[in-house]
Amino acid sequence: MSDETGSGRDSSGRFVRRAAEHVHDLHTPGDDGIHPVARILFGWTHRKGIANMIFWVMAVLSLVMISIDLVVHRHDSFAFAKATGFYGIWGFVSFSFAVLMGWPLGQLLRRGENYYGDAGGPPAGIDPDVQVEDVPAPTYPAEGDA
Amino acid sequence: MPPMLASLNPGWLLILAGVASLFITARQVRQAVTIAVPMIGLALLVTATPNVDLASADILGLKLVLYRVDGLNFVFSLAFLIAALLNAIYALHTDDRIQDGMALAYGGAAVSATLGGDLMTLFVFWELTAVTSVFMILRAQTRASYQAAMRYLGVQVLSGVLLLTGIAYVLNSRGTLALEAFTDLRDPGVLFIFFAFGIKAAFPLLHNWLQDAYPKATVVGSVVLSAFTTKLAIYALARMFPGQHYLIWIGAIMTVFPVFYAVIENDLRKVLSYSINNQMGFMVCGVGLGTPLAINGVVAHAFADIFFKGLLMMSMGAVLYRTGTVKASELGGLHRSMPWTTLFCIIGAMSISAFPLFSAFVTKSMIISEAAAGGYAIIFLMLMFASAGVLEHSGIKIPYYAFFGHDSGIRVKEAPFNMLLAMGLAAFLSMWVGLPAIVPGIGHQWLYSLLPYREEALGYSHHHLFTLDHILTQMQLLVLAIFAFVLLKRVHFYPPEKRGVILDTDWLYRKLGFGLASWAGTVWGKAGPAMTAAFGRMTDRAYAWIEAAFSPRGELARGGLTGAMAVWTAALLGVVLLLSFAAAG
Repeated sequence: MSDETGSGRDSSGRFVRRAAEHVHDLHTPGDDGIHPVARILFGWTHRKGIANMIFWVMAVLSLVMISIDLVVHRHDSFAFAKATGFYGIWGFVSFSFAVLMGWPLGQLLRRGENYYGDAGGPPAGIDPDVQVEDVPAPTYPAEGDA
Repeated sequence: MPPMLASLNPGWLLILAGVASLFITARQVRQAVTIAVPMIGLALLVTATPNVDLASADILGLKLVLYRVDGLNFVFSLAFLIAALLNAIYALHTDDRIQDGMALAYGGAAVSATLGGDLMTLFVFWELTAVTSVFMILRAQTRASYQAAMRYLGVQVLSGVLLLTGIAYVLNSRGTLALEAFTDLRDPGVLFIFFAFGIKAAFPLLHNWLQDAYPKATVVGSVVLSAFTTKLAIYALARMFPGQHYLIWIGAIMTVFPVFYAVIENDLRKVLSYSINNQMGFMVCGVGLGTPLAINGVVAHAFADIFFKGLLMMSMGAVLYRTGTVKASELGGLHRSMPWTTLFCIIGAMSISAFPLFSAFVTKSMIISEAAAGGYAIIFLMLMFASAGVLEHSGIKIPYYAFFGHDSGIRVKEAPFNMLLAMGLAAFLSMWVGLPAIVPGIGHQWLYSLLPYREEALGYSHHHLFTLDHILTQMQLLVLAIFAFVLLKRVHFYPPEKRGVILDTDWLYRKLGFGLASWAGTVWGKAGPAMTAAFGRMTDRAYAWIEAAFSPRGELARGGLTGAMAVWTAALLGVVLLLSFAAAG
């Protein structure tokens, strides 16, 4: 099965590495647990400075999107929506507002995981290989367990 | 087709096969049934003659239409049947007779309800969806899921009871059970039905059964649940309440408020449950607008939502299956070990966020553009806000926190092949429906040609859909919103994911209502014996007193008061005196 010569052929010139093996390799994670397909599809996300690059790409794209508005004459039902970059600005403001409201709302509404006494674990039927971590023991005060 | 088959409602077939599956112990045979039957159902539906009563019955002088296909219910039942098929594929790695059978019967009940032609048939299958779906939650077999399932069943049955009450009123006033749209919401029967639909459609303040129950279901269960009940409610609203202007506001509020909850929620399946609420809001709003194009938008968006929401639920189910958790605070970096799941999740995320070339772009836009055309500026702004919001929670948060972000160090196997296949098919549908019609009739035009108002839909496709205006405005919204995300992340203004539960309206009955009931129980537990004891003491004393006076051993018998006669004479004299004073006065 293994490729001894590095050329994919054995000493008599026959191919020993078949397509099925390639496929098998493509679906067998290495020792580090990383799936080979992940390297192909998402390897680029591991590059150094990628967060910076994404930030600047999005910044430039945003500028481009708004500046297209300067040359394109849009038709719209509402006068306010015809303003340059209206949709972009509304999207930016809406998104930021929704996210920033997470701070006060989290303070106001978040309680401990066992607040209702039913923190429990995962449902039945998950992968038997999973090691279920310790979860707070459910409490059932109503049933007089305590 | 033989007449027997032509009058066989595909939903009934699914229900029968689902019940039969409960007794099929051989796993392969049962799974073959759960896959083959939705396919047969699809064949039956596609070949059914439209706008004819294909099966009907007369019961107690009422005409029940059991099977009728028309422009509105065709797309809903088509989507339900495809969803039942995908769910069956997604469940192939499990060996659970109850889950397999009930999931199939649940899909069948939803199909039967949409394909029924009268209110009573709708009611019967409305209830059946409740009874069958609760097993999706119960099969999780945790105490939390058991309690959630009981709450869920209570709410669902309440919806059914309201519906039946409303039907009784409506039958009395209208004299027919026909599915004709209501025009007057002041009729009490109509109001009952409105609230029955409102519960299942998860109107604001009636919504929380959904976020309570769905995230506690099994891996397969939450995928199954996300498809049917809520979309059935949308169908029912579109059938009975099109153009009711209250629905425009109810829908718009429904799109907005879940956004805030989804931002702070840690359980990613619960985030998706809020996302269901948010997407349903667009549909409810479209029903309220009621124009042909808006109704088209509702039907198309329901179709698209069943697959992209199903896809997102499937991807989170795969994560839960492999890692044992879907808490954002515990996950991250899973793209390293689950790249295919990641890819499919991203496709679902782009579909729900309405990127051009993905499904929601061609479906949701019909509703928003009708809101704009109707001059509803505030509604339009709310819907655009919600569109940015859905990008936040379903478009970015779900894939980012599960698969990217901080690496949790969790290394697991990729999802089982059957899960990947189901996700791949849902991803294909989500992209297929979003395709421009390079060749007429493919992509979105395939879906548009099935909609109830076909001409309007195709007109919209020709004149608005893939125009520069539409693509540009949508891309502006999305790109700038994504920029807001990267900016907020960069300056560390993005709230961290924290473990915890977020209070919602279920607090009212899980804490306040439950607390009041427990308090009343405690009070009664203490007050009851105290009152009994007090009553006992009073009667004891009275008895002792009476006995001391009147018994054969008592005071009077012993002549202690110069005989009983003297007492009675004195008493009578007193009464006579009182009466005469009263008469004189």
